[in-house]
Amino acid sequence: MLACGGSLPPPNNEWASAQTDVGRAQAGGAPTVPAAKLHLQLAEEDLATSKQLFDRDNRRAATLTALARTEAQLALSLAKETNAQSEASAAEDTLARATGK
Amino acid sequence: MPRVRRAPLRTPSPERQESEERMNPILRGLRQIDGRALLALAIPLLAGSAACGGTRMPPKELNDARDEVLQARESASRLDPTDVHEADLALLNAERAWERDRDSPSTIDLALVAQRKAQIAEAEAQSAQALNRAAVAKQQTQALAASQLARVQGQLGQTERQLDQTQEQVQLQRARLLDMETKLKDARATIAKIATVRDDERGMVITLQGELLFKTGQWDLKAAAMAKLDQIAEALKGDEQPIDVIGYTDNVGTRSNNLDLSMKRAGSVRDYLVAKGIPQDLVRAEGRGPDNTIADNGSVEGRASNRRVELVVEPKK
Repeated sequence: MLACGGSLPPPNNEWASAQTDVGRAQAGGAPTVPAAKLHLQLAEEDLATSKQLFDRDNRRAATLTALARTEAQLALSLAKETNAQSEASAAEDTLARATGK
Repeated sequence: MPRVRRAPLRTPSPERQESEERMNPILRGLRQIDGRALLALAIPLLAGSAACGGTRMPPKELNDARDEVLQARESASRLDPTDVHEADLALLNAERAWERDRDSPSTIDLALVAQRKAQIAEAEAQSAQALNRAAVAKQQTQALAASQLARVQGQLGQTERQLDQTQEQVQLQRARLLDMETKLKDARATIAKIATVRDDERGMVITLQGELLFKTGQWDLKAAAMAKLDQIAEALKGDEQPIDVIGYTDNVGTRSNNLDLSMKRAGSVRDYLVAKGIPQDLVRAEGRGPDNTIADNGSVEGRASNRRVELVVEPKK
């Protein structure tokens, strides 16, 4: 009897890539930005769930892995956005002080 | 494992509603009917629809993904086209999965992927905009700092030039002072060869003996006296220092006569110095008679010493 999605191999490479993306999001400051932290946690949960589905439902494992990867990428983007906004505010404050406004 | 439904970051648009009706003609018809009648009709219809598998409503996640991606397309001028294209592709994957197997949880996964891709496009655009704002502000701050630095450097340059000028003037003054000191030293050395020179609280005091300058009881200068006064005048000329010429006598004779004689003798020396080039307004003559003795009038030598003319060269003010 074939397991559901048994014609597909487990998404080992994609899973490793997703794990790398999670690492990038962590290093990029996602844990310190509330919106980013949420998506980082979702990514980690999805990765864990996906791993459990390997060789049981590889199709589901693949889509969950893809979702985990995207969640991690969104976490990093949100962290970058927050940092960029802070940088812009700081630079504009500095300019305002310099011009005496 | 039940799938956690996540609320979209943005609210559904009117286009979503249009999209729903396009996907489900039954729903379009149901909107025309009121609540309870709607319920009475909807249940068997939807059950039939589910049995056929042909008109089932797409999951909320897929509708949300359609909304998100549509908004991303509408904001394409702001967003990175690559990011928008990725969101489009992800939505296409989700739609195909939905068509292929409407019961599969993978469809929801893929719908969420499409949503996230659209959200990434928006976040990246916001980042880029914020970084641009930061760059502009930093550039303006640097330009302002450069302008202020240039102004301060200009002021510093001006101050340095003024300092250079002041230092130059100080150097000139020092040189002038050194020159004056040297001349004074030379003058003193010259005078010391022909007269007694000492310093007191009044200045440099040159003492000339009465016998060298005048005959007894007289106030016309001897020829030898003129020769000495020539050297003294030459040494003091150009110094611009006031000179007091003070005549003294011994205590022989009346005080009145001694005062008169000392005054006339001082006057003769003054007139000679003026004739030799010392400015008239710098030379004063005074007679003090038997006062301010420097020796004992009880001896011949003492009285000779007291009969004198002093030239007091005052320091330049």
